[in-house]
Amino acid sequence: MASSRERERFDEDLHIRPLRDGKVASTFSFTTLLQDASPRDPLSLAYDDESQHYTLFPLALGQILRTYAITELHLALNAGKWRYESWGFPEEPGVGTGAELWAWMGDGASTTIDERWQGLRNALAGLFCASLGSMDDQRTTSPFLTFTPEGSLPNATLPYRLRHATLPSEHVCTENLTPFLKLLPCKSLSGLARLLNPHRLFDADWHGMSVHVTWREGQGVEVRLIFQTVIDPIRNSGGKRRDWSFESLFGRVVENRCPVATTSRVRIQLPSEETYAILPDPTSNADNIATYDTSVGQDPLDVSMRWPEEYAFQYQITALDLPEIPLTPLTLQRTLIGSSQAQGQLSIVIQNTLSSQIQTIYLETMPWLVQLYIHTLQIHCNGVQRNDLISNLSYTPSVPHARPAILQSVLTLPPKSTLRLTFDITKSFLRYTEHPPDAQRGWDLPPAVFVPIISVGNRSDVLPRLYTPTLLVDLATPDFSMPYNVIILSCTLMTLIFGSIFNLLTRKFVIVDLKQGKEQKGS
Amino acid sequence: MLFPTYLSFLCLTSWILTTVATNASQDGKVREFFGRHDGTSGHTNNWAVLVCASRYWFNYRHMANALGMYRTVKRLGIPDSNIILMLADDVACNTRNKFPGSVYANSGRNLDLYGDNIEVDYRGYEVTVENFIRVLTGRMDASVPRSKRLLTDDRSNIFVYMTGHGGNEFLKFQDNEEISAFDIADAFEQMWQKKRYNEIFFMIDTCQANTMYSQFYSPNILATGSSEIGENSYSYENDNDIGVAVIDSYTHYILQFMEGINKTSQTTMHDLFASYDPSKIHSHPGVRADLFHRTLDKALITDFFGGVSQAEIFPPEDAYPGMQSPSVKPGDTMIDSRIPSTNGSQLSSPTTQGRMFTTLEMDSSWPISLRKWGSMTLVGMLVAWVSLKS
Repeated sequence: MASSRERERFDEDLHIRPLRDGKVASTFSFTTLLQDASPRDPLSLAYDDESQHYTLFPLALGQILRTYAITELHLALNAGKWRYESWGFPEEPGVGTGAELWAWMGDGASTTIDERWQGLRNALAGLFCASLGSMDDQRTTSPFLTFTPEGSLPNATLPYRLRHATLPSEHVCTENLTPFLKLLPCKSLSGLARLLNPHRLFDADWHGMSVHVTWREGQGVEVRLIFQTVIDPIRNSGGKRRDWSFESLFGRVVENRCPVATTSRVRIQLPSEETYAILPDPTSNADNIATYDTSVGQDPLDVSMRWPEEYAFQYQITALDLPEIPLTPLTLQRTLIGSSQAQGQLSIVIQNTLSSQIQTIYLETMPWLVQLYIHTLQIHCNGVQRNDLISNLSYTPSVPHARPAILQSVLTLPPKSTLRLTFDITKSFLRYTEHPPDAQRGWDLPPAVFVPIISVGNRSDVLPRLYTPTLLVDLATPDFSMPYNVIILSCTLMTLIFGSIFNLLTRKFVIVDLKQGKEQKGS
Repeated sequence: MLFPTYLSFLCLTSWILTTVATNASQDGKVREFFGRHDGTSGHTNNWAVLVCASRYWFNYRHMANALGMYRTVKRLGIPDSNIILMLADDVACNTRNKFPGSVYANSGRNLDLYGDNIEVDYRGYEVTVENFIRVLTGRMDASVPRSKRLLTDDRSNIFVYMTGHGGNEFLKFQDNEEISAFDIADAFEQMWQKKRYNEIFFMIDTCQANTMYSQFYSPNILATGSSEIGENSYSYENDNDIGVAVIDSYTHYILQFMEGINKTSQTTMHDLFASYDPSKIHSHPGVRADLFHRTLDKALITDFFGGVSQAEIFPPEDAYPGMQSPSVKPGDTMIDSRIPSTNGSQLSSPTTQGRMFTTLEMDSSWPISLRKWGSMTLVGMLVAWVSLKS
């Protein structure tokens, strides 16, 4: 494919919606489309690549994609806990805490999928200043039923493999945002990326950045750089008001337009049943969404929304018999039960809020340090034991020190019901060198993923993925000072015992006559 | 048969003399050019390895130490690609931090050290003794990305800064393992054997820090530490809103000194060491210069902390009289600077440099051709003599 025929297109978009608990969710989306391009054929990995020339497409990322012949890539770095019950579905479904990386690659190349996977995560670790290099075999799985490709896969004859890994304890800070901004054509100097102020973004109640590379058949290779935040204007306002503006949310305004952006717009979700005021006037207003086109107008853009008739924001205190309208069909809760450091139980409570039956794919990835016992799986639906509600169970057990356990299944949820799954687990006793430096903190367990499927008649609607929060498991830790003490004590004992016995056995006391020695010397 | 032997002997001696003379004249010019300042370090690039080896919120000040040094070396010209920053914990975006995304080194919170543009190469659990030694020696797995490698050569000056909790000849990494002075000394020796540095400046801020450089044995290392054996290093001040100590005394006074330095500064290492005040720092900092081949009053601060290059421009005619390079056109302006300019000015015309190199080549061409013809006649005569003899 000749590079000169490729055209590139860059679009930026900011979607802001006020949430019902007074917070504001914003999603920045920067899309670069490399038209008429396709991912590198894995079979060509044995030969040198043809040179690629990009103007808007990020070169650092493009080089990584071509070196390992990646077809589809999704990397997310999130911090915080996404509250589905208050905030609904996020724009981008990958909201598991920590780092999550998954990639679809074509098999059959001269290097194996696992070698390319290792090269990919180390290259991305270097690019994004994240410790993705530790997503090794002990954290990598292949849950192809849950993480289906979001774009198309070019070569239908090649088998495509998925590699997925999570690092729930990964921190996200300015050093991850810096390379993210450097992948944009206008960096953070102009356009909507000007609003990405790390001092306000990392103060948010939830924030996450993600990189998505997909191939769209007929269009080309698309890179989407997404930054989502949930910011609380009430916390920073003196009078407990939920009024917000760009200045109060991000500390900045959109000053200049990014000259290479084909479209650059801000979309605000307008509240439906409240009195509000929005300034300045939007460019267009349709379907409860106000759109601002930043190419129109020369002034810096600072959108603000006020609730003039509200004195202070009232948090909705829900009575038990009048619950809030749920924003998602499933409400999830996952906990570890038990106080022992040797065993426990994993409990998952799923509530179906719809009045029709739904099915959901349930994915559980458990690192080898927590061993699941599938034969102890019990399902209770509204208190009644119903082990028939689970089907299509696919379980790969963990191998200690090598591989995590992966469980994929389909759960059937009767209407308006609460399902409770419990498994027994045992917690490992780790080798002394396997503990992290802060061993007393415990280990983070990756989130479980649910994919609800709503069937209406013959049609099945697959909803976006839902992530449970991560768990912290407390494993037994040794006394780290003891090995030294033990070695010293035992070596001392062994020396004393060996020395005494050796002397007893081999030492002989002989009386030497001194007079005889003197006569010999004299002569 | 004596005549051919005498002739060949004569040719041989004349050939040797011309060779020696040519080399001597070339050596002289090269030495004169590079040795114009006696005491220059001869480095062409600068690298920095900044390590904060402590984890946990109460070691905020160690993170601030390393970030203060990061900001200083960046300000003085070392780019991010030449800095390896290792932070064992994340304090800027820590949930305990009242000022997210910011790290401050003084209680007035005047200067944010984290900023908007920072690249941390090794973070969290990756800051280990093994990774530190691998960074120094360059022995890494092939999959390690470029930003995590110390890609120095034999003309690189490296600034190594370490901070954390330490003791007599050891430094603790993340409260879990320790690196000893012997390990670092051996790593530096490996670097010397593999020609991975021109000069190293080693600075360490821990308790009993001076013991950490007591075991070095490789040449061209200048070392300094914050406290003697048996002495603690103390923090400088607390911030009541952050809740912990924000900077260590020794590093605070170093950074204060550095605020007066910019890229064109001629301040020397001697000035830096002379500014140490044990009564203010509350410990006795030390310096080890016996392995360092230059005198300290010739070593500039920017040789280690900054990425500045010394450049001189002088016109080709004055340097090589009688030699006109064909690329010199009559209307060109030449910069007449007999006095070498040492204030870090960049080369103003790249063509001047090109002209200098071409004149060097043409200058030494006549001894080379003489040598060539002389050796050919000598060989020819030897062959003739041998054939006549047989």
